[in-house]
Amino acid sequence: MSETVLEVRHLSKSFLNSGGKETNEVLNDLSLTVEKNEFLCILGPSGCGKTTMLRCVAGFETYEGEILTEHGVTHGPGTDRIMVFQDFNQLFPWKTVEKNIQYALKLQGIRDKAVLKKKSDEALHKVKLDGYQNYYPYQLSGGMKQRVAIAKAFALKPGIILMDEPFAALDAMTRNRLQRKLLELHSQEGCTILFITHNILEAIALGTRVIVLQNGGRIVVDERNPIPRPVTPDSPGYGAFWTKLHDALYVE
Amino acid sequence: MEEKKDRRRALITKIVFIIAMLVLWEILAKAHIFGKRSELVFPPLEAIGAAFVKNFSTGFAGTSLWLYILNSMLLLLEGLVIGIVIAFIFSGLSMVSKTIDTIFNLCVSIFDLLPGVALLPVVIVIFGVKPGVIVFLVVHAVLWPMARNVLDGFKSVPEIYVESGRNLGMNSVQMLTGIYVPASATYIISGLKVGWARAWRGLLSAEMIFGIASMPGIGMYINQMRTNMKNAEMYATLIVIIIIGLVVQYGILEPIERATVKKWGLMK
Repeated sequence: MSETVLEVRHLSKSFLNSGGKETNEVLNDLSLTVEKNEFLCILGPSGCGKTTMLRCVAGFETYEGEILTEHGVTHGPGTDRIMVFQDFNQLFPWKTVEKNIQYALKLQGIRDKAVLKKKSDEALHKVKLDGYQNYYPYQLSGGMKQRVAIAKAFALKPGIILMDEPFAALDAMTRNRLQRKLLELHSQEGCTILFITHNILEAIALGTRVIVLQNGGRIVVDERNPIPRPVTPDSPGYGAFWTKLHDALYVE
Repeated sequence: MEEKKDRRRALITKIVFIIAMLVLWEILAKAHIFGKRSELVFPPLEAIGAAFVKNFSTGFAGTSLWLYILNSMLLLLEGLVIGIVIAFIFSGLSMVSKTIDTIFNLCVSIFDLLPGVALLPVVIVIFGVKPGVIVFLVVHAVLWPMARNVLDGFKSVPEIYVESGRNLGMNSVQMLTGIYVPASATYIISGLKVGWARAWRGLLSAEMIFGIASMPGIGMYINQMRTNMKNAEMYATLIVIIIIGLVVQYGILEPIERATVKKWGLMK
């Protein structure tokens, strides 16, 4: 029994070149459906349109085609699709860690201070940031900021979380730790994640499904991840899946 | 530790410099280097000190300097509030409409260059010799630099905050107060500093050029001392002006900075 939570229909998107005359077609007729609770990893070379696709789903861009969620056709951004950016500076620097989370919840209509406090404490506990409630973002490391951003995203209970290479600028050890945390949250909280990455290992370790995009947003691979979690290089089928993704990614 | 030491050294340097200047002043005063006119150019410190006290106790024509200060401050505050509110309203509208943005930018560029005092004759014709004239000049002094800073601040808000806000479903009023204003706090505060300094000097100049009998201010007081050749009193009033400036700087502007941009790590 699977349930579709996101449907991208014939998505096309062009940007005007700097001259203003020619257009650069980034996405050409991309269609995609995502099932509930799927962890979809999107691999692709730079310029293949993966970030643009995610931004269209988030509602930050104008586009041709249709994007549907459980609530029907989307028009602009919405809290049912929360974006986690790669940039560490996505938290509001003028608010403390807990106020960043509470502010987002307040905008959803939660007014009770005790409820807000409880929710933000829970969210921070999930990413092991207890005790950092009253820190300002500038006092945190990059990895900690990303954890707050992830905690905030989960606290909002969106249907879909969109992640644009959130761990790309982290060191390898921090990245591994955050990947494990994210897997844990995904299995506990039950939500759908679209996760962009350049990193094949990351896609295999995280995704329940992996797609590879090539220029114009052409889907060249779309496969269920055959390897059961937790994924290690020893897992059966790891090598074959890696090779498949690698070959699709590095065609030229 | 290192920082504390640096601060102490800076403080000692300042104190030593000020004392040296006062000693130099006193030597020049006692040496009568300008002969008979020396009393006017370099009144001795004790005369200035006595005048300082007298300004507040006796004042001029039976009115203590306190009242002049109070009048100036009331007019200044009124002008500052009006100027800042207008700057925010038009900067906000400029973010919504391209036409308003173009026109407002042009206005800022033109009017920021005009010295307010040059407009006095026109303003007096409009308002009469009334406190409104001073308020108008203060508004003129604060509005344009403030607007320039707020506009620049709004335009340099990182796109990621704006997108985060849109993602959270914020409406345009929430975006303005919840994102644009705090995100451009560094610009707004620097606008406040420039705006306040311009307004303060504009106020004093205007009051010196013509006093308003119903609401005499510090500038008028200085002018009265000047015309009566009471130079020690005049110097004493200048010291009052400096003290007020320092109080605003360290008592108002710096605390605002510490409570916002410094606390948020936006400024060292």
